[in-house]
Amino acid sequence: MAQKTKKRYAMVLDSRKCIDCKACIVACKAENDVPLGVFRNRIIVEKAGEYPKLRMSFDPEQCHHCENPSCVRVCPTGASYQREDGIVLVKYDDCIGCKYCIIACPYDARYHNPETHTVGKCTFCAHRVDHGELPACVETCPSKVRVFGDLNDPKSELHQLLASRRHQVMNPQTGNGPQLYYLL
Amino acid sequence: MREPVWEYLIVNYLFLGGLSAGLFFVSALATWLQEEGRPAFPHIARWGALLAPWPVSLGSFLLIFDLGKPFRFWKLFFTFHWQSPMSIGSWLLVIFTMLTMAYLWAWLEPEERTRLLNFIPTKVRQRIPVKVVKWLEHDLSFWRRELAMAGFPLAVSVGIYTGVLLGAVQARPFWNTNLVAQMFLFSALSTGTATLILVRLFDKKQPVALAEMRFLYTLDICLILIEFFIVLPYLIHGKLSVLAVQDALAQVLGGPFTFTFWVLFLGCGLLTPLLIELYEFKPVLLGQGPLHINPRWAITAAGLVILGGYVLRYVFVFAGQASGFR
Ligand code: SF4
Ligand code: SF4
Repeated sequence: MAQKTKKRYAMVLDSRKCIDCKACIVACKAENDVPLGVFRNRIIVEKAGEYPKLRMSFDPEQCHHCENPSCVRVCPTGASYQREDGIVLVKYDDCIGCKYCIIACPYDARYHNPETHTVGKCTFCAHRVDHGELPACVETCPSKVRVFGDLNDPKSELHQLLASRRHQVMNPQTGNGPQLYYLL
Repeated sequence: MREPVWEYLIVNYLFLGGLSAGLFFVSALATWLQEEGRPAFPHIARWGALLAPWPVSLGSFLLIFDLGKPFRFWKLFFTFHWQSPMSIGSWLLVIFTMLTMAYLWAWLEPEERTRLLNFIPTKVRQRIPVKVVKWLEHDLSFWRRELAMAGFPLAVSVGIYTGVLLGAVQARPFWNTNLVAQMFLFSALSTGTATLILVRLFDKKQPVALAEMRFLYTLDICLILIEFFIVLPYLIHGKLSVLAVQDALAQVLGGPFTFTFWVLFLGCGLLTPLLIELYEFKPVLLGQGPLHINPRWAITAAGLVILGGYVLRYVFVFAGQASGFR
């Protein structure tokens, strides 16, 4: 067996393949019981130009599972935390609902859950990942925009994509070290 | 624009926390300054001591009810996260509030203390251990100065904390500068001073003395000037900063908060009271005799300072949340 290294989960997004069908949003809602009116993922739509010279881009976004998550830093109770494998989660039982983390997230990835009055966000479907499955959005995406995997595993598709394709992260100037990689 | 998740309760909380810090600071200063071995301005000191604990207590109460899970607030006090301003702040507020209570107790006359203790039902009072009762009856007034000294750093920290709570959030360019903490601190001290001006003017039993007004005016003029010279570089720096900060500032420079910021805060809440107070103070500055005390002007100036302090927090809480990296 290969030497065991620490896992570091991340996601690669090939946005050019995205057709804005929103299947990922629906899949996430169903998988994670996300209440009405709030979302864990979204598609950022940008239009430029005038018909017929028109350009449109669709960029799926959710929590970036930052390397230095500012949401975790400001949490006064320790409810927000980062796992060894990089996934950033909320311990719902410890969350007092102060919403400081919502404000401190530069990617606006968190929401106040109107039913439980705690904070919610994308979990990379940690409950599925821990069983060796893929996050629901990844599994659902019909045009295979999303690739989920371990950055530290050289054999993973994610690792190979990042090694061979040009990519960027969103707003690196936030200093958070976001871990959603967008292929160019 | 993003939906704000912190709203008026937070504005009130930041304002009230700062107000207490200001009240305590001025009162402590008035206690600390001595004349012939006695506090130089006992009436100011006493009023400050009587008032200081309440705004911050009310503010903390509001904050707790702004939580999604108010009944979990105790979780704040079973951990300490030194990187979280809110965690540091909660501890700070508790210690500060306790100290303001002790300070208040020290400023009460013995009869007042007994009267207060008599409010406790006899049954309960009988249960209180003798030691505690003795301790409560102890004359703390000798400790006024010591308590005041101990409270200085706490009051200043609370004033700073209300700004750091916002300033330490790097995701919000409108807040993320080291000037916000100072701005909030000096605004807090100024609102405290203004409140004491109001209280002293309305105190019919011990009419305000000229020396007291001179003390309060001097203090307030200094504080407003410092605040002004923090707001100015805040705007200039922001304008010369990176795009995200410029975009954030655009909200007060032509955006939705322009009127509130320039007219209500800077015009009415900062410069107008400064001009009024300077006008009242002019004879002293020019060596032409004692300052005027025109109660109407003084009350207007003090009221405007308090309004300005509130508006400042309003603008920062809302404009800050609307700012971001895109
Ligand atoms: S994107 Fe926001 S919520 Fe997610 S880890 Fe980064 S700072 Fe935290
Ligand atoms: S809302 Fe919950 S998770 Fe977020 S900072 Fe407050 S306690 Fe932490």
